[in-house]
Amino acid sequence: MRSTGSRQQFDTLVRPWRYRLYGVAQRQAPSQEMAEDWTQETLLRAWRDFDQLDDHVAAYAWLLRILNRVVADDYRRDGRRQQLAPVLTTGDAVLNGYPCSAPGPFDQVLKNQSDAQVMAAVHALPDSFRQVILLRDFEELSYQDIAQILDLAPGTVMSRLSRARRLLAKRLIKANPSALATSHTKYTSVNPHE
Amino acid sequence: MSDLKNTNTHEWSDLHAEIQDWLAGYADGELDEHHTALVEAHLAGCKTCQHDVERQRILSERLQMIPTPGLSADFDGRLDIALANAPAGGKRPSGRRRMTNLKRWLSSLRPSVVIGSGGWAVALVLAAVLLMPSVTPDNINRIPMVSDVLNDYQRVALEELPIQAGSSEVSPPLPWANSRVLATWMTRVGGEPAQAYAIRQDNSLVIQYRISERVFFRNPDVRQAVARAGDFRTRADQLEVLGLPMEDSGLLVVAPAGNMPAVSESTTGAS
Repeated sequence: MRSTGSRQQFDTLVRPWRYRLYGVAQRQAPSQEMAEDWTQETLLRAWRDFDQLDDHVAAYAWLLRILNRVVADDYRRDGRRQQLAPVLTTGDAVLNGYPCSAPGPFDQVLKNQSDAQVMAAVHALPDSFRQVILLRDFEELSYQDIAQILDLAPGTVMSRLSRARRLLAKRLIKANPSALATSHTKYTSVNPHE
Repeated sequence: MSDLKNTNTHEWSDLHAEIQDWLAGYADGELDEHHTALVEAHLAGCKTCQHDVERQRILSERLQMIPTPGLSADFDGRLDIALANAPAGGKRPSGRRRMTNLKRWLSSLRPSVVIGSGGWAVALVLAAVLLMPSVTPDNINRIPMVSDVLNDYQRVALEELPIQAGSSEVSPPLPWANSRVLATWMTRVGGEPAQAYAIRQDNSLVIQYRISERVFFRNPDVRQAVARAGDFRTRADQLEVLGLPMEDSGLLVVAPAGNMPAVSESTTGAS
């Protein structure tokens, strides 16, 4: 049985992260209820395993690691299949139809879409891609922290993130109302040797 | 000369493919000096990769501008309650500790409660304590509403059974033959109010919890089980939990393992 001091220590370390933890859960859950379940389950597991939190591990990274397991457990029980994570090259025709020197056509594509539309595209990414995007671009964690949270090598985090952003960019371009209508006229082939 | 050109083209192509996986690291400033130099040398002659780096930066900046979804005060409060009710520590309570708790419980009973409540409530609570299952956090934490009712069952078994005048005249959501309501009280399950009914069923203490539909159907395991079999059942060591959809609510029944009363289809519409 833990002491009251231990509960206070738990609250001190964990409470400040509730808000962001829920944000990460909410951004990948199919519903608000599911996000709440995941958040609650994460905090309960964190309290259960509080003894295992080492001093040198950041509390937030530890919580995200637990959340990642909670989500994985839930999907496994649900029998959810992993989406294939397609690999796009930098020479992809759609991507290159929207040059990205800012401010430019790609910048405009992003400005044309609401936060909700961008989030919908993030949500539709394959799980392995969405995870790295959430942890890097929303939570601004280092590759080292992300690697620890997801049990990956830092190099894998980097390659997934490179591919994830490329896929997300392509989907946002295709979702852009004016993109499909103008893509043929705007498309210019870029010679990689150029 | 032609062979040399082919080899160079092949090497360039390999490097081009490999470096594409490093571009996020370059855009984010996460590459070490050596790899940064390699990428920069490649970028000097590769427009598509230059564009990709810029696209990664622009996209990352756009994503960082999206505000974090808010945590409602209601949900924040529910988290507080769930954590307050969570078992302290990750270790299963030992038998010695349970007997100590039992002694403390017996000594803390007020004479008026013992006399006023009659023999059954006390005997049933006593039986529940002696049979108190060793519920591990692994089991009980999986579905919040299940962990909540198991915790409540434990709490009631370890403390005084709430006694209310006229409880025996109250009809539980799911009535069984030869059962009698000993007490009812309000508690919280899945973060929302729930009505609990402690029932004597033969020699066992069974507690029914009427909960909201929203909480009942929140978990995918529960939804699947109800769709498949009409109910949801789980066990935590020596306790059984039965979940039933009612007309406008959900019902969770907690009973010692092997003592869950049979539920006929006709009774589930009783609510």
